[in-house]
Amino acid sequence: MTPTVSASGLCLRYGGTRALDDVSLRLTQGVTGLLGPNGAGKTTLLRVLATAVPADQGAFTVLGQDPGTARGRQEVRRRLGYLPQTPGFHPDFTAFEFVDYVAILKELTDRGARHREVRRVLDEVDLSDVRGKRIKKLSGGMRQRVALAAALVGDPGFLVLDEPTVGLDPEQRMRFRELIARAGEGRTVLLSTHQTEDVAMLCHRVVVMAAGAVRFDGTPAELTARAAGRVWSSTERDPGAKAGWRTGLGAFRNVGDPPPGADLLEPTLEDGYLLTLDGAGTEVAV
Amino acid sequence: MRRLSGVPAVWRALTPPVCRTVPWRALAAGGALGLLLAGMPRMVDGLNDDFYALNLLRAAALAFALSLAFLLDDPARHTTAAVPTPRPARQALRVALVAPVAALWWTAALLLVPAEVRPPTGDITLEAAATLVLTLAASATALRFAQEAEPGTAVAAGLLLTAALTMVLVPDRWAMFVYMKDEGWAASHDRWAMVLAMAVLVWGVCGPEPLRRRVRPVPSGA
Repeated sequence: MTPTVSASGLCLRYGGTRALDDVSLRLTQGVTGLLGPNGAGKTTLLRVLATAVPADQGAFTVLGQDPGTARGRQEVRRRLGYLPQTPGFHPDFTAFEFVDYVAILKELTDRGARHREVRRVLDEVDLSDVRGKRIKKLSGGMRQRVALAAALVGDPGFLVLDEPTVGLDPEQRMRFRELIARAGEGRTVLLSTHQTEDVAMLCHRVVVMAAGAVRFDGTPAELTARAAGRVWSSTERDPGAKAGWRTGLGAFRNVGDPPPGADLLEPTLEDGYLLTLDGAGTEVAV
Repeated sequence: MRRLSGVPAVWRALTPPVCRTVPWRALAAGGALGLLLAGMPRMVDGLNDDFYALNLLRAAALAFALSLAFLLDDPARHTTAAVPTPRPARQALRVALVAPVAALWWTAALLLVPAEVRPPTGDITLEAAATLVLTLAASATALRFAQEAEPGTAVAAGLLLTAALTMVLVPDRWAMFVYMKDEGWAASHDRWAMVLAMAVLVWGVCGPEPLRRRVRPVPSGA
């Protein structure tokens, strides 16, 4: 399958900090999850791929275009949807007016067709009922959906979503997952998140980043398999575990290198993620 | 999906929403304060001389410039970071919408000053233009090098501080705020012209979105 995004050797430095360190990856159709701790470089990578900031080194193509040239960047942006980590709005605009404004910025054609497209995306994110309401009067979850509608307008082939479920309550998160799953049908979605459940439920592929570098690139099942035989239960906290916490049932769930004869448990994606990160030595008591 | 055929079509469609994003309230406040300052020689007998008229006009220009510091603020900056209509185009549209208003405002400010105490129109207009363009250049620079969506407050504070420091610290031979009967008046306006040219240059350099970053070599082991 032809990759939507093909990147090699991306580097970006902020002062003395290496935000991206030789990142290479290929993205194909479907939802790819991007996991990593705070400061891992996820947002920087997304901003680079969304053409919001140029990389210092490396090259990449999006939908066959090179964003390193003015014409290429223009073409990429015509087929790109981007939902930033902290979307901002003109608060006096209504939801409809704001998405319409973004649609104009995306060079959408005449008023009638553009308005139909805006109504379509607002309908897609279940905001039709409040489309005439000013954004400053909408809840946080609704604002997030306005930003998603703005990203979806124009039917982009590549959708970049930076932690879209952060700050949402469980019901809103479920609703957002539905929207992202729908958005991933027929297009390429890159989803940055802290929620391993989001990745487990939505993504056909997962990339784990730490300290600006890619630490894992594969399927969620492969990431989970990294923890096979390395998760065990114990009645006391195991000091040899890389991470361990008391579960609601009273026993400790440990992740790391188990002692001989340990009571092994079925691993989860989160276990595989913890073991992939270098700094997974924190002990968590629940 | 069909798209607008060219830049003029995008600008036509963009004008109404961009017009709504202009900080008209801030501009109205700065403009009103400026007109009040410019009109003081006419309203207050003790201020009706050329020295006060000159400095009140300068204060009026500064008041308007402070409000102009918010012109390029864009709360939706990050949400619209990756659209094909580039940020400088949107900024240019805002400036184009405000420029005639600013020109009218400055004309009104000049006319409020009694003709007998009014400073030379060309020279004082050069000072005002340099102050306003410097403000816009500072805003464009802040947007280029910081991730801040609304740097207006910081730019306004910086402008105020710069004006104060220029008055206090700049030596006489480089003075910018010179009395019009002073022999250094003409030379100071050469400097104002240079400030204007530099501000235009900085704005021109910082306005466009970069395709590549300038990479500074990092010492090994860093």
